[in-house]
Amino acid sequence: MSEVLEKNPTEEPVETSPLAVEVNNLTKVFSTGIRGDHVVAVDNLSFEVKAGEVYGLIGPNGSGKSTSMKVVLGLMQASKGEAKVFGLDSGDIRARNVTGFLPENPYFYKHLSGAETLQFYGKLCGMKRKDLKERTAELLEMVGLEHAAKRRLGGYSKGMLQRIGLAQALIQRPKLVILDEPTAGVDPVGSREIRDLILKLRDDGITIFLCSHLLEQVQEVCDRVGIIFEGRMRREGPLDELIAIENQTAMTLENASPELLEKINELIKAEESTKLVEQGHPRTTLERMFIKIVGRKQDGGKS
Amino acid sequence: MSFFRQNRKLLLVLLGLVAFGVLRAPWENRLREQLVKQRLLLPPPGHTALQQMSQSALMGTLGGLRSLVATYLSLDAFGDFGEKNWDELQRKYRIICNLEPRDETHWVSVVWHIGINATAHVQYYSEEMPKYERERRFQQYCSEAIKLAEDGIKQNPKSAPIRLQLAEVYREKLKDPCNTARVYKDMLGLEGTPGYITRFYGYFLADCPGKEKEAYAYLMRLFQMGEKHHLPTLFVKIKELEEKLNVPFPRRIKTDEPERPDKPKKPSNVLPGGIVVP
Amino acid sequence: MSQPSASLNRKAPLLSLRTVWTIARGTLTQLIRMRTFYFLLAFAGLVVAIGNFNIPETPAKELSMIKKVSFGTMDLFAWLFAIVSTALLIPRDLEDRTLYTILSKPVRRVEYLLGKLFGVLIVVGISLTVMYLLCGFMISFRESVYIAEELAAMEKDGRYSNKEIRDQIALISKHGMRPELGIAVIASFLKAAVIAVVTIFLSTFASSSLFTIIISILIFLIGHAHNMASSFWLHQSDGSMFVQQLVKVVKILIPDFQLFSFSEGIVLGEVVPYALVGQMFLLTAGYIIVFLLLSLLVFADKEF
Ligand SMILES: Nc1ncnc2c1ncn2[C@@H]1O[C@H](COP(=O)(O)OP(=O)(O)OP(=O)(O)O)[C@@H](O)[C@H]1O
Ligand SMILES: [Mg+2]
Repeated sequence: MSEVLEKNPTEEPVETSPLAVEVNNLTKVFSTGIRGDHVVAVDNLSFEVKAGEVYGLIGPNGSGKSTSMKVVLGLMQASKGEAKVFGLDSGDIRARNVTGFLPENPYFYKHLSGAETLQFYGKLCGMKRKDLKERTAELLEMVGLEHAAKRRLGGYSKGMLQRIGLAQALIQRPKLVILDEPTAGVDPVGSREIRDLILKLRDDGITIFLCSHLLEQVQEVCDRVGIIFEGRMRREGPLDELIAIENQTAMTLENASPELLEKINELIKAEESTKLVEQGHPRTTLERMFIKIVGRKQDGGKS
Repeated sequence: MSFFRQNRKLLLVLLGLVAFGVLRAPWENRLREQLVKQRLLLPPPGHTALQQMSQSALMGTLGGLRSLVATYLSLDAFGDFGEKNWDELQRKYRIICNLEPRDETHWVSVVWHIGINATAHVQYYSEEMPKYERERRFQQYCSEAIKLAEDGIKQNPKSAPIRLQLAEVYREKLKDPCNTARVYKDMLGLEGTPGYITRFYGYFLADCPGKEKEAYAYLMRLFQMGEKHHLPTLFVKIKELEEKLNVPFPRRIKTDEPERPDKPKKPSNVLPGGIVVP
Repeated sequence: MSQPSASLNRKAPLLSLRTVWTIARGTLTQLIRMRTFYFLLAFAGLVVAIGNFNIPETPAKELSMIKKVSFGTMDLFAWLFAIVSTALLIPRDLEDRTLYTILSKPVRRVEYLLGKLFGVLIVVGISLTVMYLLCGFMISFRESVYIAEELAAMEKDGRYSNKEIRDQIALISKHGMRPELGIAVIASFLKAAVIAVVTIFLSTFASSSLFTIIISILIFLIGHAHNMASSFWLHQSDGSMFVQQLVKVVKILIPDFQLFSFSEGIVLGEVVPYALVGQMFLLTAGYIIVFLLLSLLVFADKEF
């Protein structure tokens, strides 16, 4: 960044925050219907995304992930609380110079080709022609769409749209990228590639704020995750801490015969203090915790 | 909360709309007046015309397709002409002329249809009708045509073609030289008046009882304006007037007519623009 | 850790014309690629049909009819096209959530609205120019055919003096193609511009294109008929209080589109007072500014 700084030495510097995203007591209420019914989509939510990290927000459908992201992007206003991007209020247009966004199920102008789409968004970011041309080629290669650069988006598959959306989010070399379900609708190979891309971006020093309900993906790329349910933050922290459950042991067997399983069960029953919590095919621990939180909530329990 | 905010915004928008509406109203009224005065905008058609319109024509007219409706109706009226439905034709033209009062061609057409065609039709081609009825209808069409022409002139005070058509009714149908001359006189100096009207005015004035002196003075002025005006009819008319007014011989014009090839008189069934009356 | 302070400090002008232009260009491309211009083909067909009107009338009258019908159709196409194309744009961006990606770039909402408006105006301008050229070509052609015919007919038997022939030709030319007709096209453009900005205003409220199109057309028709219909209606209802008040309310809330129909007079061959046309420009600008501001008021904190 230093060389860019030197180009604009006269500009009055903005007080930069080490936090890429800062959400404080955010509440978002939607009024639905004419009679003033409302839905609390996000309820007193607070979290931070540090510059340079990959932060994942996970939660089931309708838990308020997209809503939080839209508030951070200034597409929606908070009913209460605030959201900041690099210390700037999320409504500040300057925040968007350094933010890239990939919405869920992105949809672009069908009549534009892949390259034209990137150019359109680049121009909106005020990029110069030559720079934009180079950047477009670079990004198309990065997301593996060089071959489809001249095709109209109307003919793109869902996965291709997701990739062009990702490229679009990166066009102006943002410092923060917000990805709403980046791998939704993408096949396993494609989703693997996207995850690799996210890791590469992180290595380049770009902050990533993503959300998903596909846990194994979050698990793999995120430095920290927040688990959100019904608009409230349920758990938050570094991934390793969240998924470690000390008093439980998981065993994964291969080619176990029913007789062997029977024997093991007998042994467990014989032990006084041990209880078989669960048996079945293995699941990620994160998913288990996720279901625990959600399940408890649905049983009427409190977190 | 947000519902209230939404409403407040709506209120603000409404307020803005009203404020703008109130501010622009006087300006727009003034503009409309000027545009109408400059004849760029048509004044609203009278309610009788609107009432007489069919539902679809009314919608079209109100929806800004005024010219299109007028054109459609005039094409439609042409069908009535073919069918000799004079009253229906006249009704349609009343609407057309109300929609586009500034288009003199509509007035010219309707005066021609009613004053020339309809009258000719009752005069010559309606033998099944009793003579008395035919004469009455003839008179009726003539006076309707005159009324239409006068309305048209009121809307287009500088129109020569409407007057020309009106004069035709007086001249050919009513054989009324006084009124013919009066209309021709109004035409003098108007843009689009054919050159022969200058002479025709004098010729018909000459035939108007009581106007002989005026006519003589006028025709003599024409005569003295040069050879170019020395047409056979002018000689004939001046000679007639000399007789009627007993002009002393020394002051009479010389009888030798100029040696000019007789230009055939334009047949009376040819209208300006070359339409031949069937 | 690198800090993005430089980019953050980039100046953010209140209105970036470059951004407006980018969006306008995008809109233009969109409308072209949506094949909206195909309607011009329909118009071309219509003009040819009108040009072949065979009315048993005088050439002057026939020309004037052709002119009225083709310019009337042009006016109709212009405003209809302005409504439909505008209404297809913003609600569609909303439905497709394309707006998310645009507004998450450094784009102000006013820039977005202005860009859309300019895009539509450029397209309407191009269409009107093309339609004008089509009509101009067709009318000039008919005019020359008529003049040739009339000349031949009048000169044949030598019954008419040169002046009479000249008068007749002048009469035909008067109803033919004249440069002032360009102003009639501008009048249609102004009308289309006002209805476009009203449609933008509506589409900031509405959630679907169809709704926007229907309401816009309704508003246009009411705004157009209001002046004409109100006296008729008042007369019909014997000047009832209710109708009187309603007429007033409509006058205040709905733009007076009929005022923009001054192309009618121009097509009929009236003299064009340029000062008045200038005032109409000002009025149009007023409508555009006010309705854009109102749209912005709705759109500024609109959530999708
Ligand atoms: N524009 C809106 N109007 C009304 N309610 C809304 C609106 N947007 C979201 N909601 C509600 O807010 C809640 C949170 O929605 P949100 O889209 O943020 O969920 P999500 O976590 O992104 O879910 P998913 O995983 O399905 O994308 C939901 O109950 C939703 O119905
Ligand atoms: Mg979502």
